[in-house]
Amino acid sequence: MGERGLQRWRELLKRRDETRGLLVAFEGPDGSGKSTQRKLFKTWLKSEGLPVATTKWNSSPLVKPLVKVRKQIRALSPEEFCLLHAADFRHRVETEVLPALWQGTTVIADRYLFTGLARDAARGLPFDWLLRVYEPILWPDQVFYFSVSPDTSGMRISATRQPKYYEAGQDITDLDDPLASYRQFIARVIREYESLALAFRFITIDAERSIAEQHREIREHFQRLERRSWPDWNLEPVADWLARQTAAGYRPPAAR
Amino acid sequence: MARRTPRGQLIAVDGGGPAVAAAARHLARVLRSRNGDGGISSWNSSGIFTELAAAEPGVSGPSARTLALLYAADLAFRIRWQIRPAIEAGQWVVAVPYVETIKALGMAAGLPRRWLVELFRFVPKADICYHATDKSRHGNAAKGGLTDSFLSALAASGDSMDPAQLRKRSMEYLTSLERRGRIRRLPPGVRSVRL
Repeated sequence: MGERGLQRWRELLKRRDETRGLLVAFEGPDGSGKSTQRKLFKTWLKSEGLPVATTKWNSSPLVKPLVKVRKQIRALSPEEFCLLHAADFRHRVETEVLPALWQGTTVIADRYLFTGLARDAARGLPFDWLLRVYEPILWPDQVFYFSVSPDTSGMRISATRQPKYYEAGQDITDLDDPLASYRQFIARVIREYESLALAFRFITIDAERSIAEQHREIREHFQRLERRSWPDWNLEPVADWLARQTAAGYRPPAAR
Repeated sequence: MARRTPRGQLIAVDGGGPAVAAAARHLARVLRSRNGDGGISSWNSSGIFTELAAAEPGVSGPSARTLALLYAADLAFRIRWQIRPAIEAGQWVVAVPYVETIKALGMAAGLPRRWLVELFRFVPKADICYHATDKSRHGNAAKGGLTDSFLSALAASGDSMDPAQLRKRSMEYLTSLERRGRIRRLPPGVRSVRL
């Protein structure tokens, strides 16, 4: 998209910026309790009168069936695993996340692209390539990272179930024991998450504390959240989406 | 002393028309008669696009960017199961299409060239790249190539892109690669090909 085209979208986005929804991502390893916190957060936002939607990792109705069958037969290489999850993510951003944000709905992402980055980097894929795969990146307004140790994650998971093949990273550890593999793999994933948390300034929540304490902290951070301007910050992905919506016949109300 | 297997050869056949698959089959017949064992690696070997076409009614179709990611996943599958094993066994393999067709379609649909180049950074470089066009006389190929699939998936996503324009623009890109010597025109009849 050329500079003139971007300028046109910048103006349109600016008019929409005050009423757009916020994008809040919940990230962290399995067993960190983020889904519990996400549900509490959603209930609270609703009670405050805000329209809220949730999007979950690997849930696109178009791509999820493709991933599911390949996971079942354990047929995915790290590259295929990454690219299919990136396709799922892109489809959800374009068909669920951006339309909701544009309509003024706050979107809570139960895992966002950082999950893909952490897991794929832990599988040995080059980080600069992974960032390219997920371009253009729609940055969330706020990212909560639920921090737990590999031991805690392993204990919480093993208390309820046996980790699945890819969740346990058995495709790369070559270990037969899912739990032993999980412990090794999740330590790598957590290392990647911690680097991401520093680089992208996540809000780190100590997920070893009580559920109530964590929830209180999340509320406080959200109430202090300063709205950043979309045109300055997320112009490319939103303009990209909006250009296709407009070409398909959608007329943004603010453009009339 | 163990004999080292010579490295095989990866031959890419790209192009926008339905004749491309037939051209690749013809090329493979010539290669088999001259160079022995080898095979064809066709797009959708992983079945991704067949499954995509069977998506539940009412599900939004993929955008050009999502399609490029899905094609990359399919290509990763082909590289792992078809292309690398053949090359390592010292055989030839014809990849039809490889990366230039999807780049052409992606750019015609408005995706940035830089993104497409980076996305396909993981693929091994082809030893020879050919451009097969509808104008080549390689017999009657069935419909249903990558271009058709790409266009119908885009139509399902509600994208209003004109299919004729998209075909034309992607063809222009491949022709420009030919002019710059990055890709060779696959000659009609193939017999004159030098490997």
